Amino acid sequence: MKLLTHNLLSSHVPGLRPGGGFPLRIELGHPSELPPEPVPDYEGDEEFLRRVHHVLLEVEVLEGSLQCPDSGRRFPISKGVPNMLLTEEEA
Amino acid sequence: RPAGGGWVWAAVRPPRQPGMAEAAGDAGLGPAAAQEGAELAAVIGATVPTGFEQTAAEEVQEKLGSASRISRDRGKIYFEVPARSLPQVHRLRSVDNLFVVVQEFKDYQFKENKEDALKDLEDLVKKLPWTDPLKVWELNNSLKKKKTKRKKHNLQSPASREKLSDAGEEGGADQNNTNDQEDCAQNPVAVEPTGGQDPENPQGATSRNGVEEEDNEQSDVKVEVQASSESGTKAGDGQTGEGEAKVLRFRVTCNRAGDKHSFTSNEAARDFGGAVQEHFQWKADMTNFDVEVLLNIHNNEVVVGIALTEESLHRRNITHFGPTTLRSTLAYGMLRLCDPQPTDIIVDPMCGTGAIPIEGAAEWPFCYHIAGDNSPQAVKRAANNVCSLLRKNETKDSSTALGVPLDIIQWDICNLPLRTGSVDIVVTDMPFGKRIGSKKKNWDLYPACLMEMGRICTPGTGRAVLLTQDKKCFAKALSRVGHIWRRAQTVWVNVGGLHAAVYLLRRTWERAEERRSFW
Repeated sequence: MKLLTHNLLSSHVPGLRPGGGFPLRIELGHPSELPPEPVPDYEGDEEFLRRVHHVLLEVEVLEGSLQCPDSGRRFPISKGVPNMLLTEEEA
Repeated sequence: RPAGGGWVWAAVRPPRQPGMAEAAGDAGLGPAAAQEGAELAAVIGATVPTGFEQTAAEEVQEKLGSASRISRDRGKIYFEVPARSLPQVHRLRSVDNLFVVVQEFKDYQFKENKEDALKDLEDLVKKLPWTDPLKVWELNNSLKKKKTKRKKHNLQSPASREKLSDAGEEGGADQNNTNDQEDCAQNPVAVEPTGGQDPENPQGATSRNGVEEEDNEQSDVKVEVQASSESGTKAGDGQTGEGEAKVLRFRVTCNRAGDKHSFTSNEAARDFGGAVQEHFQWKADMTNFDVEVLLNIHNNEVVVGIALTEESLHRRNITHFGPTTLRSTLAYGMLRLCDPQPTDIIVDPMCGTGAIPIEGAAEWPFCYHIAGDNSPQAVKRAANNVCSLLRKNETKDSSTALGVPLDIIQWDICNLPLRTGSVDIVVTDMPFGKRIGSKKKNWDLYPACLMEMGRICTPGTGRAVLLTQDKKCFAKALSRVGHIWRRAQTVWVNVGGLHAAVYLLRRTWERAEERRSFW
């Protein structure tokens, strides 16, 4: 799973308050090197843009999970593919 | 083959102009005759998924700069290009098969009597302008040889992206089943990819062709000329020693449609083939042929051509088949219909083995593609297919390791884990009643799908392109969601012999509820 995809994902566990499913918390097996915050005037900063592009589109989460911020429900990521299916009981 | 590149009938060719070969030689082409071919203007015929002729014509205009004629014989377009453009022609994504036109007859008058009509066809052979088309064919051959050598390393050509062992099972009357292919249906042995499995019985082929034609036109199965007195052993692939003239092997494939002909495609292929054999002194061979002559008869429209592709291009990209794998050419046509713009987010929420998103990522790399399915098998297969694509890209000469702009997620179409209004385009192959699930399920599924697709899609600018065979169910579901989707265009297509429709929908400006709470 790429970071850009994560930007579009939201937890759909029933009963959440509006917006309560986003953003999902990425849990990895190991620490990563994500930039903490965009610098001012980042649009003109070629080096920064390059790094953001790299992180958004070229870094993949292969194993880990996504945690719903409100409910705590975890969705596993295996071989780069998140499984966002709810169980029968949950749905 | 003589060193000069001529064939057995070299005697009838006009002497070459000096200078042409040099110019063509700069282009790095093969034998002399092929070099000559490059200078020619070739009229190319292309078979495309029925219903997407216009889309294919647009791609030809865009990539080759040529205008196309759309034939009344559906699923075919014709355009003229310099023969040197053949490599680009082969890279067209909306085209299943290619042939070079020998001659077209817009209004051929068939004699009413069978013997007379067939005799006319036989007599036609020696009057046709074979020379230039054969040069184009030869040029095409030299391209193919290059492709074969580079197959392991080449990434961009459809030939390498396609491939794939048709180890996939395509059960029954299938989508991939190249009914549009002149040869596959008839003679599985001849064409390697579909070979192995499924010997199509002529019965099956007939019915598919029959379904394809509208208005109960009598349609005939395609046939090749019988290899009359050939022995059982197949000569190798035609390799000969140095300086030895090679005798070409050929077969004739005839497609005939119309209810006023006095003969069958079988008979036409047989007699036309006999005359071809007589004229060129080639050897007839159904399976190991060099030249495939095409005789397409559609009412009074007759087109004689020479095939430039052996196997269908439409199997490209998909290495791991599922039961309902969509043709890449159809996937391409659907994607083109939604006019993707750079940075568009394109989602296929029922991706199956990933035909659509993979085609999308390949042709529209400046969009971002997300594929999803609820089935673990589908997700796994799609992931494998993406890996195959990635592997090909890895060996490309590139200093930056570009990732493929595609992700796969396992999810439920009725409850998508995507933020409201976050997606620009939804494009998918909706489940057909007969293949997966049942019609009854579609009745409930379709409205739920349309609602959820409407929620994730950007109001106003968003659009959806949906393929379905269950048109009744779809129309009914659509009528219930008129506040979020408007029908913009419908393309009638043929998928595996079944009449299906592709709907282009536009998202209205009305905002969706944050999360559906009323189901």
